[in-house]
Parts: sequence; structure tokens; C-alpha cells
Amino acid sequence: MRGISPMNKKRFAVFSAVLCACVLVTTGAQGSTRPGESREIKDPHYGEVLFHFYQQQYFSAITNLMTSRQFQRISHHGNEAELLLGGMYLSYGLHIQAGEIFQRLIDAGAPAHVRDRAWFYLAKVRYQRGYQNEAEEAISRIRDALPGELEEERQLLQAQLLMERQDYREAAQVLSRMRGDSVWAQYGRYNLGVAQIKAGESDAGAALLEEVGHKAATGEELKSLKDKANVALGYTYLRDGAPARAQARLEQVRLDGLLSNKALLGMGWAFSAQDQHERSLVPWTELYKRNVIDSTVQESLLAVPYALARAGAYRQSVQHYENAIEVYTNEMGRIDDSIAAIRSGRMISGILRQDTENEMGWFWRMREIPDAPESRYLAHLMATHDFQEALKNYRDLRFLTLNLDEWAGNMGVYGDMLATRRLAYAQRLPKVLQDERSLNFAELSTRRNRLTAELARVENDNDVMALANDKERQLMARLGRADETLKRLAGRVDVSDARDRHRLLSGLLFSDVAFDYSPRLWQVKKALKELDQNLAETGVRREALMRAHVEAPRAFEDFAARIARLRARISQLQDRIRAMASTHARYLEELAVTELVAQKERMALYLTQARFAVAQMYDEASNAGGELR
Amino acid sequence: MKDKISLPMPGLFPVILMFLALWLALPLTGFAAEKATLPAGKFKGIDQQAQSLKQDVMELNRDLLALEEELLFPASTQVAVFLSMDIGNLFDLDAVEVKLDDKVVAHYLYTQREIEALRRGGVHRVYLGNLRTGKHELVAFFTGKGPHSRDYRRGTTLEFDKQTGPKYIELQIKDATRNLQPEFRVKEWQ
Repeated sequence: MRGISPMNKKRFAVFSAVLCACVLVTTGAQGSTRPGESREIKDPHYGEVLFHFYQQQYFSAITNLMTSRQFQRISHHGNEAELLLGGMYLSYGLHIQAGEIFQRLIDAGAPAHVRDRAWFYLAKVRYQRGYQNEAEEAISRIRDALPGELEEERQLLQAQLLMERQDYREAAQVLSRMRGDSVWAQYGRYNLGVAQIKAGESDAGAALLEEVGHKAATGEELKSLKDKANVALGYTYLRDGAPARAQARLEQVRLDGLLSNKALLGMGWAFSAQDQHERSLVPWTELYKRNVIDSTVQESLLAVPYALARAGAYRQSVQHYENAIEVYTNEMGRIDDSIAAIRSGRMISGILRQDTENEMGWFWRMREIPDAPESRYLAHLMATHDFQEALKNYRDLRFLTLNLDEWAGNMGVYGDMLATRRLAYAQRLPKVLQDERSLNFAELSTRRNRLTAELARVENDNDVMALANDKERQLMARLGRADETLKRLAGRVDVSDARDRHRLLSGLLFSDVAFDYSPRLWQVKKALKELDQNLAETGVRREALMRAHVEAPRAFEDFAARIARLRARISQLQDRIRAMASTHARYLEELAVTELVAQKERMALYLTQARFAVAQMYDEASNAGGELR
Repeated sequence: MKDKISLPMPGLFPVILMFLALWLALPLTGFAAEKATLPAGKFKGIDQQAQSLKQDVMELNRDLLALEEELLFPASTQVAVFLSMDIGNLFDLDAVEVKLDDKVVAHYLYTQREIEALRRGGVHRVYLGNLRTGKHELVAFFTGKGPHSRDYRRGTTLEFDKQTGPKYIELQIKDATRNLQPEFRVKEWQ
């Protein structure tokens, strides 16, 4: 692989942070600054994208990033931004686009640990969304061991992919490399055991499950896994005609755990298979009291009367069968009602009613089963992958509908705003142009040039008195008038004293002005410079005005055309979203209805069995000429 | 009546087989869940279409945001005020108020989630608006808790010249380690 430059190292530190963020978000972890996160923001708009990203507002972050990239104002973060976009695409479920970005950046020279981690997350997301081959392709590109628990998670994912290809031997080899006491390894063994039993390799599979089922478990997760292994073993042994072994495994399942119903049912069958019918009534009667929505409880409605009959309590048995017939009939009616409710769209609206988050995204999970009659039958289905993923898409599409509805409203406002601006422009333009004309910019420039030439002459001629102030000019005028008078009086009266005083005063005035000549000359030059600046600014504004005069109508046209085009795109996408949401809704409904139909069919089978058993008992009692005991 | 009535075993084998089938269909991992009952390819098909649609909507949002900005805040008059936080251990920000030319243009109360995003390097755009070219004054007031959880209110000022391009101003909250006090600075982006 190519070596990486320090620049690349820095870029990939952010890559790691993005990938870390993906994981942290998936696990719902919260915390303060993450190691490896870059604090140095070179473009504030990139920081703004991060502000949304760190709040898991991926849609806002993505669109902000795309917009800022279009305006070229995050150029200092080019590659980081690309990487962040890839990470957010992943968070958003757009793994195809994310994969393309990661691939591009990995090809550009990511260090091995970053590259491997990127492939792992891609594999994981692809697997979750059902892209088996693509997930295998991604996981095959991981070269070295991943850090910490990630490596075990990777091995488990790899084993899972192998199992789905029914390559159990290779899956077992992958799992054998995992630490025996890790949670991931336990999950792996459980999955492999189940897969092997499914493939007919019962002994090998049961051995693995025995290992998990016997292991001392701490914590709810491992205890639950242990229960699962024991239940799976129990049913496998029952199927293989080894009820005593089944009983031993099922007895290990916690009575207050999630699997206790299944264990109770199996336990009853284990006793029954050993002809211990009265003992089988103990777990089945316990199960019988539980919620009938559970298929194991439904099964117990048949199992209890069966055991009673086998124990010779026929009257009680018939009563229980008749009760079962009533319950099944009622439940089948409710299932029909639920199917009708689902067909009317009530299920999805019920699920999303509790959704208060205003962002879309791949990490969203349905938190609670909605409080609706049909939900009773669909808890299992709602936890399935396809249902959850399709629901997420539907939820995203709903978010996008709201987003585009808002934009559609804004487009109307912007259209009006543009029309108002156009009108105001048309109204103001004549006055602005009139003001501009009356300003007579050319005359101002000529006057300024005259002043410059005069100043040059004053400086050249050393014309001190040209810089006299108003008061001095008044004095000069008075002295001039006095000089006129003295000339008129000369020869008629003696004016020598007066002329001496006039000369003295003229000298004093000249001396005063000459004394201040240099500062005054500087002041005048400064004032002229300011005038130049003001004229230049006026020139710029005038040019801007002239430009606007030419460009504004064009800009209005351009905006109007863009608004029209965007409106059309909004409308087109609204139609597509509606159609796609409807496709998803139908898909979810189809999943739910398929599930309910299967449940109804199972219930119908139970109903037939119950009716048959009752009929048979009455027949046999009648044939024997007696009554039921 | 006979002592024994021979009943069929109700649902025993179907049930065991049903549970086994159900059980064996459950791959358990930290990231995988069960598969639903419809053909696997069906979801993949609609998922691909949904992804493509989401991508199109995001691209449209990009173009809409660009139009909005160019229409409402043209580059020639645009001014944006951002707020960032470096470390932020010495100051718990509650709110910021921004005045431009003595007029309050933004008053923002921060949530804990937003503070967390700021601490991790996010930058919040507190204000986006328009200003004429020329000289202007920005005053920002920060309120929150300072060292030892004391109520803290500090202001900072910037006189700036708005030219014909967009103007970006960043209010920075930093921890000054030398005196263990928060610092409030204003940076003009070029």
C-alpha cells in the first residue's frame, strides 16, 4: 500500500473520528470530546456542519455540507468534508453512496487500521440491509485484526455470512479463533449450533449448544443466550426422541425469563413423551394461565385437555377443549379484525404516532409496540429486520414529505418576494437615475481637476496668500481698500505715517499667513485626498448602480426561472415520495397480513384438533354406552 | 365407557417442528435480527429505490438552500455570526445575545446537546442577515456559569468594515489556562 503523508494522517484521524462517531451513534453512547476529533476549524461553515453532525441531525448536516461545498466555502476541509459526507450517508442508510466515497478515500491512501475499520462498517451496514454478497465483498477486504471487541464482532459477522452460505465448516473455524469467554464468541457458537442442526448435523450442533447452555452466565444478555441455547436443545432432543435429555435442558431455563413460555411448553411435552401425564400438567397449567396471544399459551389450551384425557379425567378434558374452541374462535375473529385494520393503514400510523424525533436516519428504532389490538399479534414481526428497515424507510419518506411540503410553501413566498422586489425596483429606478443624473458626476471630476491644478500653481508660485483664510482675506480686502484711499489722498495730505502703518500691517498679515503656509498646504492636500477618496467611492457606487441597472432585470429573470425549476422538481419528488411511501406501506402491510394469516391458519389447525378431540371423546363414550368421566 | 380413550397427540410434532423451524430461523448477533416471511429480494428492490429517492431529495435541498441564501442573503450584503467553544471547561454557556449597530439581532438559549456539539468542535451559526457596506459595530453578551459555578455575564465588541463580499464573524469562547478564566474573543474571517 502507498505510504501516507502527514496531511493524509491528519485527514484520516478525522476519518477515524467519523467512523468512531458512527459506532458511538449505533450504540447510543454519549460523551464529551472524542479522542482523535479535530478541533481546528478552518472554515466556519464546516464547523456548522459538525454542529449538526454531533447532534445526530444528519439530514441537516448533509444538506448544509452540500450547500457549503457548492458555495466553495469549506475548501480547507475538502477531504474531511468528503469523508464526513460518507460517514453521514452511512448513518443515513445510503450505504451505496457511502461505499463509493470510502472506496475513493481508501484508494487515496488510508492507513491500514482505518481502511480495515471502514470496510468493517460497510460490511455491517450492508449485511443489516440484506446485501449479502456486498457484505462479503467488504469483509473480505479487511486485512488485519481490528482493535478490541471490534475484531470479535468482525469474526462473528464473518461466521454469520459463512453460515448463510451454509459453509458451516469454515464458520466453525472462524468461531474457533474467538476467545471462549467473550459474548461475541457465545453468540457465534449459538448461531453455529443452530445452523448445524438446521443443516442436519444435529450432533455437532447440539454439542455447541450444550457448551453455551452449560456455561455460567452473568448479566442479562448472557443469561438470555443461555436460555435460548437450552430451549433450542430441549426442542431438538424432543424431536430426536430423547425427552429425558430435553427435560434436563429445559429445566435450566429461567421461569421469569422471556423464554419461559417456550420452556414450559417443551417441558410438558418432555413429561408427556415419558408417559408422565400428570407431571406434564404442572408446566402446562402454569402456561395455560398466561396471555393467550402467545402461541405457546394457545398450544397449552390443547395440551392441558390432552394430558387430562391421558390421565383419565375426560369430563374435565372436554370442558378444556370446549374452552379452547371458544378461545380460538374468538382469536380468529380478532385476527380478521386486525387484518382489516392493517389494510386500512391503521398499523403504520399507530406505530409512527409515538415518533417524536424530527430527524430521519438509519439509527432510528421503534421503541415501543403501539397500543393497538393488532399489535398483540405482531410483536414478533415488528422485531424482524425487514419490517424495521422498511419502517425506517417509510418514516424517512414521511420526513421528506414534510421537508418538501415546507419548501413548496417557501417557494410561494419567494415567488411573491421576487415579484415585490421587481415592483419596488421598477418604481424606484426612475428616481435613482434622476438623482444620479443631477449629481453630474462628470462635472464633479472636472471641478476636482481644477482644484488640483490650482494647488499645483500655488505651490509652484509659492503663492502664500492664496492659502489665506476668510478672516485674513477680509483683512487683505480692508488693506487693499486702505491702499486705494492712501493713493487717492497722496499729494493732497501727508499720508506717510498712514502708509508706514499700512505697510506694517500688510507685512504682519503676510507674515501670519506665511507662518502657517506649510500646515495649510498640507491641510489642503489632505482635503483634496479625501475628496479623491469620496469621488472614488461615489464612482464605485455609481458603477454598481449602472451595473445593477443592467443586471437586476436579468437577476430577477434568473431567480424566477430557478424558482420555477425548483418548484417543478419539488412537485415531481413529492409525487415520487408519495408513490414510494405507498409501496413501503403496502409492503409492511403485506408482511403483517402474511404473519396474521399464518397465525390464523395455525389457530385453525388447533381449532380442528380441539373439535376432533371433543368429537372423538363423545363418540367413544357413546360407543361405550356411558358418559364421560 | 372405555377406560382409555385414544386421542391423537394434539399438535405435538407440528408444534415441536414449528418451534424448531422458528428457532433455527433466528440468527442471533449484536447486529442481525430475524428475517421476515416475504421473499428476501423484495425489500432490497424497494430499498434501492428509496435510497435513490433520498439522494435526489438531498440534492434538491442543496439547491433550495442555495437559492434561499442567494435570494435572502446575497453575498454583497451577507453577514453571518458564528459561535465556537474551545474546551469550554471554565464556562458553562447558557445563552448569547448579539447586537449589531445597537440593535439586538439574535438571542439564543443553548440546550445541553448543543453545548456538547460545541465542545466537540461544532460551530453554531447564531445569526445570518444583511448589512450595508461600511463601518458597523457588533456587541455580544455571553451568559452562563463561570469558574466555581458563579453566574457570569461578559460582553465583547468588534468594530468592523463591511465590504462588498460576505462577512463572517466568529465569537470564540476559550479557556485561558494561565488565569483559569474563560476568554471571549471575536474573530473576523477573511
